[in-house]
Amino acid sequence: MENIIEFKNVNKWFGKLHVLKDINLQIPKGEILVICGPSGSGKSTLIRCINRLEDIQKGEIIVNKIPVHDKSASLTRLRADIGFVFQQFHLYPHMTVLQNIMLAPVQVKKMDKAKAETIAMEKLDRVGLAEKSGAYPAQLSGGQQQRVAIARGLAMSPEIMLFDEPTSALDPEMIGEVLDVMVNLVSEGMTMCVVTHEMGFAKKVAHRVLFMDEGKIIETGTPSDFFDHPKTDRAASFISMILTH
Amino acid sequence: MLADFNFRVILEYLPLFLTGLRSTFLISIVSIGLAIATGIIACACRISGIRLIKYPAIAYIEIVRSTPLLVQIYFLYFGLPTLGIRVPEIQTGILALMLNSGAYIAEIIRAGINSVEPGQIEAGVSSGLNYIQRMRFIILPQALGVTVPPLLGQAIVLVKDSALLSLISVAELTRAGQTLTSERFMPSEAFFTVAFFYMCIYFCLKALADWSQRKLIFREAY
Amino acid sequence: MMAFYFSRLVEIFPFFLKGLWMTSKVAFISLVTCTLLGFILGIFRSGKNKIVKRVIGFYVAFVRGTPFVVQVFIIFFILPEWGMQLKAFPAALLAMGIMGSAFICEIVAGGISSISKGQWEAAAASGLNLVQQLRWVILPQAMKVILPPLVGQYVLLIKDTSVVSVIGVMELTRVGWVTVVRIPEGLMVFSLVGALYFVISYPLILLSNYLEQKMAV
Repeated sequence: MENIIEFKNVNKWFGKLHVLKDINLQIPKGEILVICGPSGSGKSTLIRCINRLEDIQKGEIIVNKIPVHDKSASLTRLRADIGFVFQQFHLYPHMTVLQNIMLAPVQVKKMDKAKAETIAMEKLDRVGLAEKSGAYPAQLSGGQQQRVAIARGLAMSPEIMLFDEPTSALDPEMIGEVLDVMVNLVSEGMTMCVVTHEMGFAKKVAHRVLFMDEGKIIETGTPSDFFDHPKTDRAASFISMILTH
Repeated sequence: MLADFNFRVILEYLPLFLTGLRSTFLISIVSIGLAIATGIIACACRISGIRLIKYPAIAYIEIVRSTPLLVQIYFLYFGLPTLGIRVPEIQTGILALMLNSGAYIAEIIRAGINSVEPGQIEAGVSSGLNYIQRMRFIILPQALGVTVPPLLGQAIVLVKDSALLSLISVAELTRAGQTLTSERFMPSEAFFTVAFFYMCIYFCLKALADWSQRKLIFREAY
Repeated sequence: MMAFYFSRLVEIFPFFLKGLWMTSKVAFISLVTCTLLGFILGIFRSGKNKIVKRVIGFYVAFVRGTPFVVQVFIIFFILPEWGMQLKAFPAALLAMGIMGSAFICEIVAGGISSISKGQWEAAAASGLNLVQQLRWVILPQAMKVILPPLVGQYVLLIKDTSVVSVIGVMELTRVGWVTVVRIPEGLMVFSLVGALYFVISYPLILLSNYLEQKMAV
């Protein structure tokens, strides 16, 4: 199958800090990839490079045939095809839920408002929050906010969805509702990259798990291989840490 | 244009500029001192429950804030003699700066006091402290830190405001520039030199204000 | 004697109204220009281009670091030396524009920097370009922070128009100055001038206070 995302010898520095070291990675179309690793391992940076929220200093990233590392690449076109969900939701506080979701379709795709609203309601329904369309983000719980953020990511009907620790900022009782929504998305055939430590989610839906540490990809494998028979010591100690956590 | 900039004339007039700078310094220091005193008194009246002193304080603060300083200066400059009070221009000027900045400082201090959270007052009340004791030991020590950066900001404003005293012939820095302009007609040399000296004062005070702001943030982090 | 002067003052009151009209004209034109320019500069100041930021920073420091009256003198006396003849009125507007834009630029830049990086990222991630990010996501939120000090700045700018009287613009303060020479009742004349300024400024001060309370919630 063709690769929708490809990293070739990608290197990134924050000042002197070498955060991504010679990353090579192919993600085929439709794959559900879970990325895990200790904090500071570069996993968030890795997926933020895919829609160029971060610039890279060396190497190539090709997404949907667009060379992302190229400074002249059309970011608007690239990003319109990628949904991104942040750890801290980052909903627009001055807009209602519906306006949050409609903003990009109307402004970027120049969709007419009525059509955008239909689509927005449809996505909102998918995350189970149709009745909250008129609410402001501050009136919602953390779990609900994150579900709205997912609907916002889906509004552009992206081919790729990126999730940057979508449940880390949530109270434990709200993690389930967000994961359920994400599991439901799998059937759509989208490519999904999820930075998360949620082992249950990974085992249930992921095709592949990628373990990072200190800016390098240490090992990859199927969820059951990775979690039950880790090949490296570092992965093993990481897994035991998240199990006891 | 800068090619014909005449540094010789600046050098020649340097003593005049330096005297002007010294006056600007002295006027500013005296005025800010008096203004702080005025501000404290006005603020105390403003937040007191006694109507007889509260409302005059409000009127003073609001009138000063709603009218230009230049009008206040002219008011005193042309007005005091009609009351039979004849004082040198420099004293009229300092009085105007004091009254003007005093009103702003009263509001700065009030904002500082309001920034102390009500829980602090309640804590003071419940440990049996009276009004004066609460002010002295709980409110003011906390409020004072908050007021330092805006007070320094007001000092910057006051230094620049003192330039308006040149219009009632006080021999300060801007006046030195006017003198050079009228005697030799070299306004570039005159006013860029004046501007340069003001910038020096500004950067010093600004550095101090930024430093106090950082100290404050540092303190709040604990 | 005082009653006599008072009746004289009533007689020439239309002269004061003319001054008030001139003050309003200078204030209104400069407020509009300063707001426009201030927003543009403020947006560039919070942008990424380091050279642009430096240049704007230098300009702002010059304006904030020197008295407005000195700036007025520089523009009125020095521009002619450089071959630009300006009458008092346009010189006054130019001085007000240069000064006011710098202060508003700082207010706008402060407002923009108060918005978290995540909001920029979220807007960028959904494909909005820089202008759209500002227009729909950043500025609407920043306005909450910008508005109260902006209105406060308007009050300061209106009051600062009094300084352009020094180059002979016949606005309110200048009218008072001219009058006091003929009617030597300084307290009376400048109380009247002050009262007319009060009428324009005070409502704006109240608005600024109101906005501050409203936005704080």
